[in-house]
Amino acid sequence: MFKKILLATSGAPSTFGAARVAFDMAKRYGAEVVVFNVMGVPTKAFSQLVNDVRTGEEIEVDDEYRAWVEEELKSTFEKQIESVEYAKIVTTTGVPSREILRAARAEDADLIVMGASSGDSSAYRKGYPGSTLQRVAKAARCPVMTVHRETASYWGGFGNIVFATDFSKQAENAFKFALNSAKELGCDLTLFHALDISGKVLDQNAIEDKLIEARTRIRETYGPLMGDFKDFDIEVWEGVPYVEVVKIARERSADLIVLAHHSRELDPELASLGSTLEQVILRAGCPVVSVSKPDKV
Amino acid sequence: MPEGKFCNKTPITTDEQLKATLGDKGGKQYYEEMNHLDVDSDKLWASIQKTMKSRTKTWLEICAHCGLCAESCFLYQVNGRVPEQVPSYKIQSTLGVMVKKKGKVDNEFMQMCMETAWSKCTCCNRCGMYCPHGIDMGVMFSYLRGLLYSQGFVPWELKIGSGMHRVYRAQMDVTTEDWVETCEWMAEENEEDWPGLEIPVDKEGADIMYTCNAREPKHYPEDIAEAAILFHVAGENWTVPSEGWEQTSLSMFAGDWECCKDNVLNVYAALERLKPKRAIGTECGHAHRATVIEGPYWAGRPDGQPPVPYIHYVEWLAEALREGKLKIDPAKRIKEPVTLQDSCNYVRNQGLKDVTREIISYIVEPGYFVEMAPNKEHNYCCGGGGGFNGIGKYREQRNVALRKKRDQILDTGCKLVIAPCHNCWDAIRDLEEEYEIGIRWSFLKPLVIGMLDVPKHLLPPEE
Ligand code: SF4
Ligand code: SF4
Ligand code: SF4
Repeated sequence: MFKKILLATSGAPSTFGAARVAFDMAKRYGAEVVVFNVMGVPTKAFSQLVNDVRTGEEIEVDDEYRAWVEEELKSTFEKQIESVEYAKIVTTTGVPSREILRAARAEDADLIVMGASSGDSSAYRKGYPGSTLQRVAKAARCPVMTVHRETASYWGGFGNIVFATDFSKQAENAFKFALNSAKELGCDLTLFHALDISGKVLDQNAIEDKLIEARTRIRETYGPLMGDFKDFDIEVWEGVPYVEVVKIARERSADLIVLAHHSRELDPELASLGSTLEQVILRAGCPVVSVSKPDKV
Repeated sequence: MPEGKFCNKTPITTDEQLKATLGDKGGKQYYEEMNHLDVDSDKLWASIQKTMKSRTKTWLEICAHCGLCAESCFLYQVNGRVPEQVPSYKIQSTLGVMVKKKGKVDNEFMQMCMETAWSKCTCCNRCGMYCPHGIDMGVMFSYLRGLLYSQGFVPWELKIGSGMHRVYRAQMDVTTEDWVETCEWMAEENEEDWPGLEIPVDKEGADIMYTCNAREPKHYPEDIAEAAILFHVAGENWTVPSEGWEQTSLSMFAGDWECCKDNVLNVYAALERLKPKRAIGTECGHAHRATVIEGPYWAGRPDGQPPVPYIHYVEWLAEALREGKLKIDPAKRIKEPVTLQDSCNYVRNQGLKDVTREIISYIVEPGYFVEMAPNKEHNYCCGGGGGFNGIGKYREQRNVALRKKRDQILDTGCKLVIAPCHNCWDAIRDLEEEYEIGIRWSFLKPLVIGMLDVPKHLLPPEE
């Protein structure tokens, strides 16, 4: 399923969870891991000065600095790099989201794995409003997995996947990914829809009706696509979508949440406001995969 | 005549030299070598005699030392109003002395000139408007920079910058392949949201040939995508050239005149090859100055015009909004106090002040636009013009220079600044980084896209 995994990491401890998941998956699938690091955001066009993504300090990128960063990454992930068949380290300078996308395209990656805070240091935020994750999740051709918590790194493999749908076109792509993963990994799959009742006044009967409606819709939309896969169930809960997604994931002891990412909003600052995806990532105890495009699922 | 390995009188013309010079961390060796660089006085004087125009000569002679230009210079204002920052002093003590001494000057003098030319003047041309004789230090400092460059006294980054232009014909190492690939990539990344979106490369006879700033393919390719989206929505027949797409000219800031000419000829060659009806450049002030305002003279075009009408992005945008090619959804107009940075390079130097305000009238809810004071052609430089932004050696001076813009913005009370110039955008970002006044800044393209009223047939099919 995955031949190449792009691990976007700053090398900071906040990305260790992501690294662990990426390497574990690579081991399982015999995939290649590209350890990818954006050393800094260029501050002055043509000059070599960059703001280091981790520290925000102004540094000058030269061969020496490059070599030092590579050495750091190598020793940080030494054991993991040894544990997989193929791994390489790639470093660059630039705006993190853009460079991650560029690298994913150049490497033809099947999955991007990132810590929720990769490249979202304060210096980055200051210079470039918007979130790296939002930008990557929106534009990436392949699924993007975010691992927010160190504890979320999985050890024994995936057992339960929660796929949350909002019935959008992108959700179809996300579904395909969720189903393929469940088949491949031999997991249980929960098809879930959160009925958004935030800010609405609905009486209980209306809610019940809508719940039934959504259930039917899930069955009709995804049922025929299941093939001979049997280990799935359907749930529809009402509430604020991200809260409900996190709740069901917890209830099912999910190891993976799969969501669609879609937003026509170009300004990531605005897009991220109230974004279900971002909230789920921040709150979930397990890795979250967002799928936007159909290409790599 | 000792010339250094990096610091010398020879321009960078190969990739190897370029990489080697880049590898000299912070220009450490470069500046060390500069301390031993000889001045070729004969050549310098010969060059002055050959190239100094009568205007410059007259200017140097007629200056009345009245000091009326002092307050006009933002660098004078933010640097404690010291006499060393008075425009006339700055030029008399450098170019003036160089001429008086017939080029018989020493290394120390040349280094002082370098510091003055690149850290005490951004060539913003504001002082020229306030001098009763119309004496313009911006013009004279540009000239002085050329003399300094030819003698090897140029800041490290600008030596590299003009080297980039010589080697890659772009201010950054973006090759033709990189560029074409980026166009494909951007079309691909956005085609789902904008069905039919294309970035046509090398289409002959299009209505528009679009050119940009190398930073866009290098770091911000979404800018190219945004231009494509707006042309697409406006229904324009447009193209980009595979060669000659880079419109900026760091060589202009470096004083590398030969390279300036080469760059602009490269862009003009694309125009002659693709024969578009007109050309449009991106939201960049100095790019426009280099290709449209000064370029024709470098290229020796007798009519002083580019081969086809060549307009700045703000002119196209205003036209598209005026003619209804682009429609703004009134509900999405900006409804917060917003101000506008007038770029010296196309506002003071070309008078495009009303056209930007016309754009404002379409995209900002009436009552929310706050002018900076002063504004239009009287506006101050962003603080990082003329290459100042890029020079590490003068970072501190640049940061002081940013204070004028900071105060101007603070006085408007706005949190949003529209900056349709790459360099101004950078300077404003840097000033936020340096002084943390809590502002946001934007080009016009993303703002406009966010408030477009898009015709149904251009939207992706409903799911
Ligand atoms: S051109 Fe601008 S920066 Fe230079 S001396 Fe005149 S006002 Fe000052
Ligand atoms: S205002 Fe003009 S004449 Fe007076 S000092 Fe300045 S440059 Fe000289
Ligand atoms: S950066 Fe902008 S404001 Fe500053 S000199 Fe250039 S055009 Fe003028």
